[in-house]
Amino acid sequence: MIETDVLVIGAGPAGSSAAKYATLGGAKVILMDKKSEIGTPKRCAEGVSKEGLEKLGIEPSGRWVTKEATGVRMVSPNGTAVNLTEDKVKLPEAGYVLERKVFDKHMAMDAARAGAKIMVKTLATGLRREDGQVLVSAESMGEEFEIKSKIIIAADGPESRVGRWAGLKTSLKPKNMESCAQFEMSGVNMEEPDCIEFHFGSVAPGGYAWMFPKGDDIANVGLGVLTTLTDKSAYQHLLDFVANNPSTKNAQPVELNIGGDPVGGLLKKLVADNVLVTGDAAGMVNPLTGGGIISGMTGGLLAGKLAAQAVAEGDFSHKRLKVYEKQCEEEIGESFQKYLKAKSYLLSLSDEELDSIATAFKDINFESVDTKEMIKKLVKISPKALLKLGKLF
Amino acid sequence: MDVKEWCMCCGECAGVCPRNLIEVREISLKFDEKECKDCRICVQVCPVQALEK
Repeated sequence: MIETDVLVIGAGPAGSSAAKYATLGGAKVILMDKKSEIGTPKRCAEGVSKEGLEKLGIEPSGRWVTKEATGVRMVSPNGTAVNLTEDKVKLPEAGYVLERKVFDKHMAMDAARAGAKIMVKTLATGLRREDGQVLVSAESMGEEFEIKSKIIIAADGPESRVGRWAGLKTSLKPKNMESCAQFEMSGVNMEEPDCIEFHFGSVAPGGYAWMFPKGDDIANVGLGVLTTLTDKSAYQHLLDFVANNPSTKNAQPVELNIGGDPVGGLLKKLVADNVLVTGDAAGMVNPLTGGGIISGMTGGLLAGKLAAQAVAEGDFSHKRLKVYEKQCEEEIGESFQKYLKAKSYLLSLSDEELDSIATAFKDINFESVDTKEMIKKLVKISPKALLKLGKLF
Repeated sequence: MDVKEWCMCCGECAGVCPRNLIEVREISLKFDEKECKDCRICVQVCPVQALEK
């Protein structure tokens, strides 16, 4: 049997962050992942905010940044675009488009350099408690074994089973899980190649479509849908989007990615005796944008630091670990509340309403306009859309 | 559960399974068929329609 202080299950950005900070805090740490190659396959549009990376103290590297995005282009169903650029308006979501396969490995390498032991191609198959610790059964390359740990950090993604084994309700309802499909394509001819692009409306029921440039003519072209609102699969919606969008008319896919994105907000219970849940498994995904790298890594950092403290104190109880829920709520959950409202508003709008809003704002100078003026415009163009907005606040 | 060969093991099905019955391996899925109550939520959410009951 292998023994450790902290076992982190899942080596995505959140898990690697947790492993790194638990190790730096003095704990003996194992970081395990079921995949043979960390970061592969990607299940992500690969966008990350500059501000978020800076806050986490991560220096952007040419090894994993493919493109700097300096603006956001939002496109309504009839093709009307509203462009927002970094130099005119503060864009928290503008930043870098990553190469996740490289980024994730680098984050795991950071954890390894801090002193964590990494086990790839190792699947957790069960969990039981014994003498105040946890025994995780695992499989690797045909071998079955157990790992005894004082604390488990479950960073096993949207499909998380570990939290549920520990008695936490981490399963999601389909209305809170975006079903996503994405091509990485070459030959993409974006209108604004320095902007990340979002397409709203019936093109992606319950979600949106995106184009994230990766330099030259390469882009991630994908979408997320709520399967409660459509009979077609995410993949079918993606094929339609690619076939009908002028930017992808001559593009060819070099990669297909699929996966679920938990967009229901931060889960309420993230802690059990000996267990902390983080990253996508904890719902640390912006409910509006679906982005979860920075919030997941923030959650991982909090979980890792706390796990190391708890190990040092010899107290792994729910009572000791509960502070993690408060920290996550303050650092991550509170900001999600406004995004949940914005998402509800966006989903309530018809294609026609989205078009009229885009028409109203397409030529606006966001640098000089105030909220009153924006509301006035909305009243004039689409009173119905404004009424829906009013109901949310 | 009939898992089609184009399943990409993304795990979305496992994330919504209310009974935690789906084990997502690197290149395969394992269902606990005995405990399955046939809710078919997993079938509904699959991004590539790779599951059939």
